[in-house]
Amino acid sequence: MIAPFTWKAVLGAVLLSALPSAAQGPATAKPSPASRPGSPEKPAAKPSAPSATKPAAQGVTLPKPTTVTLKNGAKLLLVERRDLPLVSFSAWLRGGALGAPAGKEGLAALTAELLQKGAGALDARQFAEAVDGVGGSLDVVPALEAIVINGQFMSRDTGLMVELLSDMLTRPRFDAKELEKTRERLVSEIAAAKDGDPRTLIAAYFQAFHFSGHPYGAPVSGTEASLPGLTRKDVLAYAKNHLGADRLILSVVGDFDAKALAEKLEASLGGWTRAATPAPEAPTTAASKGRRVLLVDKPDASQTYFWIGNTGVSRSDPDRVAVELAETVLGGRFTSLLNTELRVKSGLSYGARATYTLNSRPGPVVISSYTKTESTEKAIDMALDVLSRYRQTGMDDATLSSARSYVLGQFPPTLETGAQVAAKLSELAFFGLDASDVDAFATQVNAATRDSVRAVIQRTLPAPEDLTFVLIGKAADVRDMARKYGAVTEMKISDKRFAPPTTAAKP
Amino acid sequence: MFRQSLLWASCLALLAAPVSGARAQGSAAAPGTSSDAAASKLGAGIEVRTLKNGLKVIVWPDHDIPNVVLYNWFRVGSRNEYPGITGLSHFFEHMMFNGAKKYGAGEFDRVMEANGGANNAFTSEDVTVYMEWFPRSALELIFDLEADRLQHLAFDPKVIESERGVVYSERRSSIDNSTARSLMEQVQASAFVAHPYQFPVIGWPSDIESWRMADLQRYFKTYYAPNNGTLIITGAVTPAEVFALAEKHLQPIPAQPAPEPVRTQEPEQKGERRVVVHKVAQSPLLQLAYHGIAGKDADLEALDLLLRILADGDSSRLHRRLVEEARVAISVDTYFSPGFDPSLVWVMADLPPGGNLSKVEALITEELARVVKDGVTEAELRKARNIAVAGFWRGLETNDGRGYALGAAEVFRGDYRQLFDAPSRFEKVTPDAVRKVAARVFNSQRRTVGWLVPTDEKAATPAAKEAAR
Repeated sequence: MIAPFTWKAVLGAVLLSALPSAAQGPATAKPSPASRPGSPEKPAAKPSAPSATKPAAQGVTLPKPTTVTLKNGAKLLLVERRDLPLVSFSAWLRGGALGAPAGKEGLAALTAELLQKGAGALDARQFAEAVDGVGGSLDVVPALEAIVINGQFMSRDTGLMVELLSDMLTRPRFDAKELEKTRERLVSEIAAAKDGDPRTLIAAYFQAFHFSGHPYGAPVSGTEASLPGLTRKDVLAYAKNHLGADRLILSVVGDFDAKALAEKLEASLGGWTRAATPAPEAPTTAASKGRRVLLVDKPDASQTYFWIGNTGVSRSDPDRVAVELAETVLGGRFTSLLNTELRVKSGLSYGARATYTLNSRPGPVVISSYTKTESTEKAIDMALDVLSRYRQTGMDDATLSSARSYVLGQFPPTLETGAQVAAKLSELAFFGLDASDVDAFATQVNAATRDSVRAVIQRTLPAPEDLTFVLIGKAADVRDMARKYGAVTEMKISDKRFAPPTTAAKP
Repeated sequence: MFRQSLLWASCLALLAAPVSGARAQGSAAAPGTSSDAAASKLGAGIEVRTLKNGLKVIVWPDHDIPNVVLYNWFRVGSRNEYPGITGLSHFFEHMMFNGAKKYGAGEFDRVMEANGGANNAFTSEDVTVYMEWFPRSALELIFDLEADRLQHLAFDPKVIESERGVVYSERRSSIDNSTARSLMEQVQASAFVAHPYQFPVIGWPSDIESWRMADLQRYFKTYYAPNNGTLIITGAVTPAEVFALAEKHLQPIPAQPAPEPVRTQEPEQKGERRVVVHKVAQSPLLQLAYHGIAGKDADLEALDLLLRILADGDSSRLHRRLVEEARVAISVDTYFSPGFDPSLVWVMADLPPGGNLSKVEALITEELARVVKDGVTEAELRKARNIAVAGFWRGLETNDGRGYALGAAEVFRGDYRQLFDAPSRFEKVTPDAVRKVAARVFNSQRRTVGWLVPTDEKAATPAAKEAAR
């Protein structure tokens, strides 16, 4: 009913590809500057501080947390913030979908869902009542490399919050009936998503097709084919191997006494055992050579949705600030090169973007848009042309200056709330980064030069001859055209996987 | 994440007065020990001034971060449309970014972004709202940009044509290629036979094709007049500097005659209506739309709490019954967006592939009848209140949230100060008030039932007709 925002085309559902990344933080509905409907559609606000053109604008710095490492390896980061009667936390458990054995895609997601379906003395219903009853919130987000639990409670309910969180972590029930129900629901949700806007799913197809054979290609949420085979035994094994104190980074921000809270957390989490296996690590990823196309047939689609890209950069890439500037100019804001061509000048699309997905290892870097079936070729050619020109020429000084101001100006609201700060603290610790990622951001943005950004563009954006294409649309009308871009693999949107069987993720 | 429910939850929060603002946010804070005192303390720095041309400016200073948020609310939406120009309000939302006198085509965004700002806008049945998020350093520039487009908007035929294509693409993605939105469009169009709430905000396809220059110019003059807007500024500013800038840049814009009021009232519905949409899909959908209440209605908080008791959270009645116990739905949600006129109260369920629509409909109908007959418990009411008040606090955590909440209270309730009474209004709701509003709204004679029935590809109508546009 609300006609959505004028700009606002996020192409990719974080949930299915589920990659807590630098820009996005944990993949859920985290509080954001626009903590209402528009926000998911807005370009993710990005890092930084004082502006190039505006001398010494105030920036934001990350508060220094009280840090406690328990004997069992759990890491706690606590920040007192007393302005509102709220407590927010962000708990990251290393492992995520990477910890699921081959063929058991979705196991981490299923396990994560079940954490809130009964724990300690509470069954699923009682657990939900406990959270809802005080107006609290708890979101469990299964992601590629972690399971993330975010929560927010009234400070008067801090004790309850600690109790519920530690029950979830240390005493989940994994009740058989709840497991069966949840598994069934997860399958149905994927089927239902395929009836919806393809923008919510195309990331999963890209990830599965592009990273075929690599753990990054295994769909985080599982597939309609993989989920039904998951058993309680699988869940228990996953929990034993991958849920443990040494995998936990827990940040809490809000209205509490840090010393008292640390004691409370130590009392409730100190006895938690370590995970039975070492944390999984993804093998390195690399750019693929040549071009290939996955065409996903959605027979009634009136529009073609596309992602075109390759492998980009990791969250800890030393040039990540330049990468952010490069992304902003190519497709990270409304006046980006892509949106200007595909939307503003030509009216072909409601939106066009460029996105780097940042994980421990380089994830996808893609350009993405959608257009009516008839103009598919025109829009893709236009997007490729923009990419190609950008790789050759980079940006001029005025554009660099504008991009600097933009990322700096949009940065402070990304760290406005306790929940945002908690998520950032956990994210940085997870990726082995420190506060300079926030505190020195402005300096680094201002230090970027045309040459340094151009070098990064050439290093991190795909060459025109090496591209993975994923198209979701009406195959009967775009099949012939798609062949122009490379060898075409075709599947139906009703197929129960996100990549054709031959390219399904292998160990 | 991709469920129908979330789609509508988003809408709810968007337009809902602050009382419902919690819905889309999922997670939340919770009420303070003394909500009212804390709330009024929060708003202590707010100052208001009405310019000579009728534009009301409300400023809420807060200096936590060096940033500012602007919300400009105009009282125009699809409610002000008629056949032939449906979707025009939303199209106009787009056109406001397409060039004026000092800042030509593309310059509004280019200049704003180069100075660290970003923007967005949305249109609903009742309002069109423009938002800007920017560093403090860009404050005066933002006023200059706003003044230029409000005073001198350009209407370049080429730009209009291009933007039509953009809106069409938006329509294809948000409505045509989504089963949930397709069904909702049909249900809403059937639930209202007279009132313009029947029109989809994005417009009917044939109308998108036929807006004329004269329509746009008239719309701009009538509805984008300063006396039809409300400007909210929150963040790192002082009221004095904002008023000075507003007087300098916006006060010269002349007032216009007040727009014609919307006089049509929806006649009472005398019997259930049913809508079936066939679409290539795997999963059936059910939507029930009941005629609800207006945003200023005294029952608003009771209705808000009722809808939470029914479907907010895994412990809610409908979730328990349909998703956990009977396992006939994968999600269920309620949605209500209070507007200027009585609008629809939605109850929606996503079914699994092969799901039984009759059964889900029967169970929901039974649960709604039960709440009408037996009311709700004190414990349920307490829980819903906690969730609502938590959402209230959560909504006030950011400059953006404060800007939105303040504007919604001013526009939909007629006074921004009502924002700060929200916690006490929730406190006053009794179980009996909840039962009464349930009886008022959940009358099967006054509902429209929508079924999305999946078809396979072979039975599908060729998409060529729409796609060819």
